[in-house]
Amino acid sequence: MKRYKITVNGQFYDVAVEELSGGASAPVPAPRPAAAAAPAPSAAPAPAPSAAGPSVAGATTVKAPMPGTVMAFKVTQGQAVKQGDVLLILEAMKMENEIVAPAAGTVASLRVAQGAAVNTGDALVDLA
Amino acid sequence: MDEKIRELGERRRKVLEGGGPKRIAAQHDKGKMTARERIESLLDAGSFIEIDAFVEHRAVDLGMDEVEAPGEGVVIGHGTIDGRTIFIFAQDFTVIGGSLGEMHALKICKAMDMAVKVGAPVIGINDSGGARIQEGVDALSGYGDIFFRNTRASGVVPQISVIMGPCAGGAVYSPALTDFTVMVDKTSNMFITGPQVIKAVTGEDVSAEALGGATVHSTTSGCASLMFADEASTIAGVKKLLSYLPQNNIEDPRIVDSGDDPMRSDPALKDVIPDAPNKPYDCRDVIRSIFDSGDFFEIQGLYAQNIVTCFARLGGRSVGVIANQPKILAGVLDINASDKAARFIRFCDAFNIPLVTLADTAGYLPGVGQEHGGVIRHGAKLLYAYSEATVPKMTVIIRKDYGGAYIAMCSRHLGADQVFAWPSAEIAVMGPDGAANIIFKREIEESSDPASTRKDKIAEYKRNFANPYKAALRGYVDDVIDPAVTRPRLIRALTMLLGKRESLPPRKHGNMPV
Repeated sequence: MKRYKITVNGQFYDVAVEELSGGASAPVPAPRPAAAAAPAPSAAPAPAPSAAGPSVAGATTVKAPMPGTVMAFKVTQGQAVKQGDVLLILEAMKMENEIVAPAAGTVASLRVAQGAAVNTGDALVDLA
Repeated sequence: MDEKIRELGERRRKVLEGGGPKRIAAQHDKGKMTARERIESLLDAGSFIEIDAFVEHRAVDLGMDEVEAPGEGVVIGHGTIDGRTIFIFAQDFTVIGGSLGEMHALKICKAMDMAVKVGAPVIGINDSGGARIQEGVDALSGYGDIFFRNTRASGVVPQISVIMGPCAGGAVYSPALTDFTVMVDKTSNMFITGPQVIKAVTGEDVSAEALGGATVHSTTSGCASLMFADEASTIAGVKKLLSYLPQNNIEDPRIVDSGDDPMRSDPALKDVIPDAPNKPYDCRDVIRSIFDSGDFFEIQGLYAQNIVTCFARLGGRSVGVIANQPKILAGVLDINASDKAARFIRFCDAFNIPLVTLADTAGYLPGVGQEHGGVIRHGAKLLYAYSEATVPKMTVIIRKDYGGAYIAMCSRHLGADQVFAWPSAEIAVMGPDGAANIIFKREIEESSDPASTRKDKIAEYKRNFANPYKAALRGYVDDVIDPAVTRPRLIRALTMLLGKRESLPPRKHGNMPV
C-alpha cells in the first residue's frame, strides 16, 4: 500500500494506492489496473480519487462497464464465486446484461443498491 | 574445386550455428525456439530456401569491427506453407541480441521487396533487443526503410508480424503497420518505451509483461490481433490465419471444401436467440451454425468483445464476419468496437474477402467518456470502411438494429449488396420505449393514467414499427427469411455476387477518419 498526497485545485487528497495481483485475462468488465489510478508523485495536477467510497482492502472491484440500472443481484455478501459466475444483472442499452466475476473469489460487499442507476466505472461489487 | 566447396560448407556451417550452442541453449531455456527452428516449424518440411546467409555488417565504430555476427542476426528467405509461396524473415536473438543494424535491415527489406515483386505474403518473426546502438543513424535508417516498405506493401500482399521475444522502441512500428500482429503469451512484449524509461520519467513501476505483454495488448491496447500460449500453437495459428488469405490483392483466397452441405438448413437456429429482445445471447452460436463446419477464426477476440470479427467460410470460400455481440456491453458500438471492425473490414476489402455482417445492436454507447474520447470520428471509421468496401457485402439483421447503428452495420445505404432480416428483426429509428416517449409525449402526459398509457403506446409502436417489414416495404431489406435457411441463402447470395465488379472514383486516396 503506497500513500500519496495529491493536490487538485488547492484541495488536498490523501490517497492510498494498492497494487492488485491476478485477474490477468479477465473478461468484461476488466478491472482497471491499479497502476492507472496511481498518480505520479509529481507536481503535475493529478485526477481526484474516485468518489465511490472506501474500497475493501485486498479486493477486486467489479465496475459498471456502461451506464445502466442494477436490476438484480445474483449473489449475496460472503458468497464464493467462480470466474464467469453472474454477479448481477445490469439493465443498459435495452439489454439485461450479465455482469460476471472476472476471477474466483468471495463477495466482500455489494457497493450499490438494487434499482440504483450507475454510470460507467461505478463500483458494483467487491470481490476478495 | 573440392577445396572451394569445402570452404563453402565451412562458411555455411558457421552461419547456421548462429550465436553458438551456449546462446541457443539460453534461448531454449526461455521456452523459445531459435530463428531457424521457428522457420522450420512454420514452413513445409524442406521448403525453406535461405537468401543472404553470408551478409555481414560493415560497422567499425565503438568496437563493432571486432564483433562477428553470423547471418547479421536475421534469417531471411522463401518457402511454402501448405504449398503456397511465402517470404519470411526471422530475427535471431542468439546473434548480438537480434539487434537491428544497417545490413540486418537490408536483408529484411530484400525479403519484402521480393515478396511484393512476386505477390506473396510476408511473415516477419520479431525477436530483437532493438536498434544496434553502435551503428547509430544507420540503424535508424534501417527501421525507416522497413516501415516505408511495410506501408507500400500494405494492401498488396498480406503481412503478418509474429512477436516471439522483445520488440521495443521503433521496432514496434513495423508490426503496427502490418495486417496482423501475433503474440506469444509470457515470452513476447512490445512497447515504445520500456519499464526503465517509464520508471525514470514518470516514476511508475511496471513490469515488461504488465506494460506490453501479450495479454495487455490483446485485451487493453488492441495492438495484438492474436495471442497464443506458446510458440508451437502460435505457429499453428499463423498457418490457420494464412489459410483464409489470398496470396495478394489480385488473387482470391483458396477454396477449402469442408464437406459441409451448402444447402444445409438449421431449424435450431431460431432458438439460439431468446424470445425477449432484452435478453443477451452469444453471437458466436449463430456464427457456428451458419458457416462451414461451425469453424471460424477470431481476430482481436479479447479486445472490444462487444463486436466479433472473424474469418470463416461459406461453401468453401473465405469470408470476413462482423457480428455485434449482445453478450458483452449489450453489443453496443463504441470507440474500440468501431476501430476494431473498421480495420478488419478494410483488410478483407483489400484482399478480396467478402463481408458478412450479423447485426444486433441497440446503438452507439452513450456517455461523456465516449463523446470526449472521440466516438464521432472513431465511429465514423466503421461507416467509412463499409462504404468504401467493394467486395460482396451481405448483411443479416438478427434482432435490434436501431438508428445510427442500423446504418453503420452495413445497411443497404452503405452499399450492402444483399440484406436479409430475420422475422425477429427490429429496424427502427430508435427503440420502442424512447420513441413512444417522444412521439406520444402529450398523450401520455394528458392521460388519466400516464403509466398505463405509456405502456400501451410502447406496445403500439413496437407492433407497428419494431419489425423488419417497414424496411422491407422500402426495399432496404431484400428479404425476410426464416433463420433456419440463413446459411443456404447467404451461400446463394455469395455465388450470385461472385461477378461483382465495382470501382471507386479515381483519386489519390480517400481520407479515412483515422
